[in-house]
Amino acid sequence: MGRVAIVGVGHSKFGRRTDVNVAELAFESIKGAVEDAGIDKKEIKNVVVGSAGGWYEESLPAVIVNEYAGLDSVGTMRVEAACASGSAALKAACNSIASGEGDIAMAVGVEKMTEVDTMTSVELIGRAGSYTWEFENYGMTFPAYYALYAVAHMNRFGTTEEDMARVAVKAHHYGSMNPNAQFQKEITIEKALGSQVVSWPLKLYDACPLSDGSAAVILASEDVARKLTDTPVWVRGIGYSSDSANLSRRPDYVGLGASVEAARRAYSIAKVEPSSVDVATCHDCFTIAELMAYEDLGFCKKGEGAKMIREGETEIGGRIPVNLDGGLKAKGHPIGATGVSMAVEVTKQLRNEAGSRQAPIKNGIGLVHNVGGTGHYAYVTILSRD
Amino acid sequence: MSGDPALHSRRSLTLRFDIPISRTKEFWDALREGRFVTTKCKECGNVAFPPQADCSRCMSSQFEWVDLGKEATLVTFTRVQITPASFVENDPYVIAIAEFKGGTKALAWLEGVEAEKAKPGMKVKVESRTSKEGNPYYVFVQA
Repeated sequence: MGRVAIVGVGHSKFGRRTDVNVAELAFESIKGAVEDAGIDKKEIKNVVVGSAGGWYEESLPAVIVNEYAGLDSVGTMRVEAACASGSAALKAACNSIASGEGDIAMAVGVEKMTEVDTMTSVELIGRAGSYTWEFENYGMTFPAYYALYAVAHMNRFGTTEEDMARVAVKAHHYGSMNPNAQFQKEITIEKALGSQVVSWPLKLYDACPLSDGSAAVILASEDVARKLTDTPVWVRGIGYSSDSANLSRRPDYVGLGASVEAARRAYSIAKVEPSSVDVATCHDCFTIAELMAYEDLGFCKKGEGAKMIREGETEIGGRIPVNLDGGLKAKGHPIGATGVSMAVEVTKQLRNEAGSRQAPIKNGIGLVHNVGGTGHYAYVTILSRD
Repeated sequence: MSGDPALHSRRSLTLRFDIPISRTKEFWDALREGRFVTTKCKECGNVAFPPQADCSRCMSSQFEWVDLGKEATLVTFTRVQITPASFVENDPYVIAIAEFKGGTKALAWLEGVEAEKAKPGMKVKVESRTSKEGNPYYVFVQA
């Protein structure tokens, strides 16, 4: 298998994008990625589109997106791995190059979640567990799924609502420095703790918003990457795993088994330790999810996630800065775009292009952690400068 | 909402599914009689919940029904304040996961207990209910 590098990245503004349709939205990041890579778009032979879909009018987004951007006759497909669809798209595009199918491919993540009303969006996400056993009679929602984890984590390890609020405060702090973020205002712990309860103990400020947005990365084989750029960011390893749809089949509710396994595989393929990660994006769809991610990815021991946020270990200047783009919480979480957006952020960090929110890069290693559903899917992608 | 011009689509779509239950019909029949049963593989002994006719461990399709009893222990819970569109008529509800003797777990509403007073480790029991459409379902109540 050949080496593959990210050679171009593009990112739309995330938020309530009532000014564009899904193809126009995807175009923003595709154009950005093509320009960043310095290639002719005709050199792209394979386009994988990550999108969960259902909340916007088009049923076959891959062809709609390609047609609008003039990506004629490309090999293409839409992939779905819930909120990890973007990472699944990146993996599929990456594999196409590693297997020798072609030299340049693109992964595009796009979602438009606000073309239906908010309660319908909540319904569509809530149905994405085990429909018959969890939704039909009980009306599960995604905040409710993560609240079940939060209560168990609080009960087992003494994690508090204030610890979770600290994650939101950090996210909004870095979101305020990211012009593409949905929310660009700082918040306080008091404001987070006083916000409306969505699914107790999770409140509005524990939850990521409904978002529209897109992101794109262009990937190239080693020879082509070295010709195109002096700063290729290598895909060193992608680990993935999955878990039951039925939550009642899981052994416990204090971490995501799929994240643990995906991370183990990614570290093993990339031959790196958690301690050598300079910067990471973690899947903080809810604040409790970020705390569990610290533990599941081996940044700390099980049960010590809250300690990491309390001690500032995941801020710039801390041991492993996490979600310096504002995370899903403040940057926004357009489902299918998120995994690609995370790869864009870590690529910029490794290229030292993140400006005021730049992490110190010592080992040249970044990590992308992207969860689909409540750990139904998990992808961990390790990127590096060398 | 935003003031941006939009084509307000004229076409709407209602989805209503007929979900096949013929292979696990005994579960729903027993529930109507107030019993909570599930499948046990005759080949490898795997007890599954939700019930399934094909064993996910050894792939055998030979199974028997076993009674899980009524008593269970609360594992975790939440109170859903913001409900999905099709549940807007409901008051906020408490959703819990509880574990039966032998380790089988199930997810259902926890009725009659304030979320503030619920606690992992608390004893609950499972009860049958019938929806206004006539469909059987189950809930947990305080033991």
